[in-house]
Amino acid sequence: MARRLDERTVEISLPNQVGYERIAMACCASFARMIGFVPERIEDLKSAVAEACINAMQHGNKWRPEARVVVNMNFRDDTFIVSVMDEGDGMPEVPEYPGIVRIIEEEKPTRGLGVFMIQQLVDRVKFNQTTTEGHVVTIEIKLTK
Amino acid sequence: MEQANEIRLEQLGDVTLFDIRGDVTILSEPFLNEAYENANNQGASKILLKFEKNAYINSGGISVLIQFLAETKKNNQQIGITGLSDHFKKIFNMVGITKFAQIYDTRDQALKGLSRGS
Repeated sequence: MARRLDERTVEISLPNQVGYERIAMACCASFARMIGFVPERIEDLKSAVAEACINAMQHGNKWRPEARVVVNMNFRDDTFIVSVMDEGDGMPEVPEYPGIVRIIEEEKPTRGLGVFMIQQLVDRVKFNQTTTEGHVVTIEIKLTK
Repeated sequence: MEQANEIRLEQLGDVTLFDIRGDVTILSEPFLNEAYENANNQGASKILLKFEKNAYINSGGISVLIQFLAETKKNNQQIGITGLSDHFKKIFNMVGITKFAQIYDTRDQALKGLSRGS
């Protein structure tokens, strides 16, 4: 996956510390608003980007303070594309959210919730893309919805 | 990056209101646990969680709420939720929170609903 840095691209680099995902949320929201996304879809985008950034900090960069999370935002062909890159190797398998009933009634651990939220909130998500620079999760959300 | 919640408890008839100020993330866990312990010490049987309309809630915060709901289920407590934006109403429904807690549009509706036992 080549990183795009052109006139339709914004890229930010975040410290690997929880809380900074809000910078990515705000940037994505501003960009999506400029393009004409409706508020409901901007909220979906913000939550999905937040979860992708937190996963990158926790699972990709394993909370290493010197690591970075790079968020690349791009709009083309009616699709807003956000790539969240960490310095990890990706996930051996994409965790599956067991559902709240199993968590509460069978005391299963709450895992995969962030991934589940991303999958539900956006039109397309690709996990486990590796590049020479790191591991990337790509989120796509369409303007027309 | 520090984050703190303020959770004010208020007894409104037979309903214990948790007025939750601030964002809801994994860092909210000790604040919610402390409030829950205080509510249990006062014999709470019906709990209303009231969030700020513009609160940021992420998966870490939702995990904390799921564990809270697991405890309230063990203790046979009835839970209501209010103050959510439409976006977080959708997310709470999506992740299944609504299977264990009723979401209300307003505090008054929640108090009526919980007092009726619905």
